[in-house]
Amino acid sequence: MAGGLPHPVLWSTLAGMDHITINGAQHEFKHVFYTWIAMAILFSLAFLVRGNVKLVPSKIQNVFEVIIGGLEEFVVSNIGEDGRKIFHVLIALFLFILFNNLLGLVPGCDAPTANVNTNAALALFTFAYYNWIGIKRWGFGYIKHFCGPFWWLIPLMLPLELISHAARPLSLTLRLFGNIRGEEIVLILFFLLAPIFGTIPIYFLFLLAKCLQAFIWFMLGMIYLKGSLEHAH
Amino acid sequence: MIIKKDKKINSRNYVDLMGTVGTMGTHMVTHPAVGAVVGYFLDDWLGTKPWLFIVGLLLGVVAGFKAVYMDTRKIMKAQEKHDAERFGRKD
Repeated sequence: MAGGLPHPVLWSTLAGMDHITINGAQHEFKHVFYTWIAMAILFSLAFLVRGNVKLVPSKIQNVFEVIIGGLEEFVVSNIGEDGRKIFHVLIALFLFILFNNLLGLVPGCDAPTANVNTNAALALFTFAYYNWIGIKRWGFGYIKHFCGPFWWLIPLMLPLELISHAARPLSLTLRLFGNIRGEEIVLILFFLLAPIFGTIPIYFLFLLAKCLQAFIWFMLGMIYLKGSLEHAH
Repeated sequence: MIIKKDKKINSRNYVDLMGTVGTMGTHMVTHPAVGAVVGYFLDDWLGTKPWLFIVGLLLGVVAGFKAVYMDTRKIMKAQEKHDAERFGRKD
């Protein structure tokens, strides 16, 4: 169900995983189920690639090498050599969000990122991670990142910076949620209007949009980490 | 060769710009929202009913405008760098 519209058919309904009961209270479980599917796909791909890593890469290893190697170069060219130490978190977030987004295009599946709770969890993790990296790097001096350029501006800049840092996870959550949920609703509307001919062309647009959303998350995480790693102004 | 290099710079600029522009709209909304929510709960805690809410909202609006200003400056800088790379080498 996206925005009150009935989803034509869902694998989670067939598997009986739409709702689960914990302590007598019923919880919606659909999106957790699809998160598990995305995780299963990622894990099996990882084991498939890891099982036979060769010097001359096979097809699937080639694809992963292009994606991961290209993005690592991108991060290192932006942050510097420090980027290699934090790259594993960024690429894990990127691949996870990418597969979660793309599950929305598979018939019978719903994107887990179309639920605001998935995004909030990911955004809070990103927020906690870049602050932890900053504190680990600078110790107590990390507070200088919140104090602005001049000492007499501290009473004004400190609340402003705190608000703008607290707004980061919120804006990450809402952007991804709005984009993916909107695409799900549009897909269902087009499916109701013209089942095959309506949905196929829009698939290509949404394929681009969903990859772009995952990449924007990756890039923003990189910018936040760059801010917490580099010296305060 | 020159055209190919130029294209590469351009496409990377597009992705960068899309990221920045895509965040500007949400920045305008989320900063005042966070400021207002923080002010509201501080009011509940300290019992100063309307005042901290108003102060928080104003601070949030200022922070939102500051964020949009920083984003705009980033776009301008990228544009200047791009122009320098593209046209600067002629002279």
